[in-house]
Amino acid sequence: MTRSLSPQERNRSARRQRHVIEALQYTCLTVLAIIFLFPFLLMVGQSFMPEIDFQRGLLFPIHFTLRGYEQLFAQPNYLNYFLNTVFIVVFNVVAMPLAASFCAYSFARLKWKGRELCFAMVLSTLMIPGVVTQIPLYLLFSSLGWTNTPLPLTIPNLFGGGAINIFLFRQFMHGIPYELEEASTIDGANVFQRYFFITLPLCKPILLFVAVGAFTSSWGDYFQPMFYYTDPEKYTLAVAIYKVVMLDGVSENSVAMAAGVFMSVLPALVFFLLQRKLIDGIMVGAVKG
Amino acid sequence: MQENVNVSTGAERAAPPQPPAQPTLTPAAKKRRAVKWLTGFLFALPVLLGIVIFNFYPAIQALVSSFMHDDKFEWFYNYETMFSFDPDTFKVFGNTVFYALVSVPFGLVLGYFLALAANFKIKGISVYRMLLYLPVIIPGVASGLVFTYMFGSLAHNGAFNHILNAMGLGEWSFFEAENSSMATLIFMGVWSAGGSMIIWLSAFKNIPSVLYEAAKLDGANALQCLTHITIPMSTPLIFYNLVTGFIAALQCTTPLVVVGGRFDHMGGGAGDSLYFISVKILNEFNYGLYEYASALAFVLFAVVGLFTLVLFKTSRWVYYGEDKE
Repeated sequence: MTRSLSPQERNRSARRQRHVIEALQYTCLTVLAIIFLFPFLLMVGQSFMPEIDFQRGLLFPIHFTLRGYEQLFAQPNYLNYFLNTVFIVVFNVVAMPLAASFCAYSFARLKWKGRELCFAMVLSTLMIPGVVTQIPLYLLFSSLGWTNTPLPLTIPNLFGGGAINIFLFRQFMHGIPYELEEASTIDGANVFQRYFFITLPLCKPILLFVAVGAFTSSWGDYFQPMFYYTDPEKYTLAVAIYKVVMLDGVSENSVAMAAGVFMSVLPALVFFLLQRKLIDGIMVGAVKG
Repeated sequence: MQENVNVSTGAERAAPPQPPAQPTLTPAAKKRRAVKWLTGFLFALPVLLGIVIFNFYPAIQALVSSFMHDDKFEWFYNYETMFSFDPDTFKVFGNTVFYALVSVPFGLVLGYFLALAANFKIKGISVYRMLLYLPVIIPGVASGLVFTYMFGSLAHNGAFNHILNAMGLGEWSFFEAENSSMATLIFMGVWSAGGSMIIWLSAFKNIPSVLYEAAKLDGANALQCLTHITIPMSTPLIFYNLVTGFIAALQCTTPLVVVGGRFDHMGGGAGDSLYFISVKILNEFNYGLYEYASALAFVLFAVVGLFTLVLFKTSRWVYYGEDKE
């Protein structure tokens, strides 16, 4: 630049440059967002697409129909699948954070001999791949007559609610000032009261994080339930989609896409509602982990 | 029991930590100590029972049954079968290890670039962050449905092939051919890069901005900031990501939902090109070969252990701050 600029001009060009950079940033992010959402937009679009449009090779519908959803819900057991899944999800969303925080309280706040060794044992289970224990567990649960019931997918979560969750709670509890508990002890609170009324309410961010984790994992899991559900009347939603829609195949594309949409609506809703807190929680979990 | 706890902990919390060696204990103090221990133990009891019943016992049972054949001990029968007779073994292990070695670093690098974009200081960035993360929370079966369709052939109205065709790039085979299935599966990882994006973002958040300001004063450019500040300061998270990423990738079962039963083996893909260990274990289980499946599971366990061990042994590049040199 040969000619010297007046301060005003320099200011304006700097502002213009910032605008250009911002526009580039928005463009870049928008392109990324479109790429990332494209498959799911297609899924939603095609769930409303009549078969004629699909056969003509369209990506998005120009006609609109609810046939996919009608056929999906016309399947004889669909409501059962949904209720089965809801039962498992609700149970785990309540049980996992409670069980994990209860045990973590012992590892974070109570002093007893053997505590560190026990905690190390709990963490060591993270190393065991799920498939190693899957078959003996299947044999155990089937000898108890628990196949085709939600019990194998819920009852084990009462026992600790997952090693990684205990770890997260323990880390989080270490960050809570101990003085609060001391004060309540002086006021005569016993150990259960201290856990339930003092520590637990302070663990809200991590409680939410673990509860949402419990929700998404038990809502979407197909691998574990596949071992336990053999009776087509008793499937969970994920197993039903896997076995009925994917393996047996459905006649129309819109039915498959409607099944996918139905499966995704609830997690997406939970995510949108809790978005800000959740991403913070994931970051907390990530840093602590 | 609850009353005891009430009395004892109240007294013991008020006292400062006592010196460890106490020559004589009054019966009351002994009782207090026992109750204190019992309280801690009982709080941990659920998870201790849980790991014994649902982790250790089944793992040991799986180990024992991996040495059995038709309910009789036949030491290495299953392992011998696996490595000398089963034609799938090397393919299955090769596929799994290859997938882990490629997809995990790929996801990390992609997540990094995504995090750079999601870290722009502009209005509405949290909405973009959310949109980029959204594919991660879509359940596996649902995204399996979509991607099965999207990677379909032109005859099946596959979306990618439509787009490629419109660009004059012809029709691609994706999951339908042996030589393109693995690449397609790894490419699918693009849509789950939001998971590692979040971890990178939290890493960025934890790096003191002083470091960047100092570097800028010294005349460092963006690339130097990346290689000398961002990456070294993020090594603990990179390490964490590598360990959990490899453990998860080695147990990957995604082919079950993207290729399903369309080829020779369920979840095996064209020419078994996507046949992974966990999927094979499931198939052997479905044939009723529990003992053989257990042996396979233990070899997978060994592979996972080996990867973790190598990562920890070579973790000297991880920087935990000055104090832990």
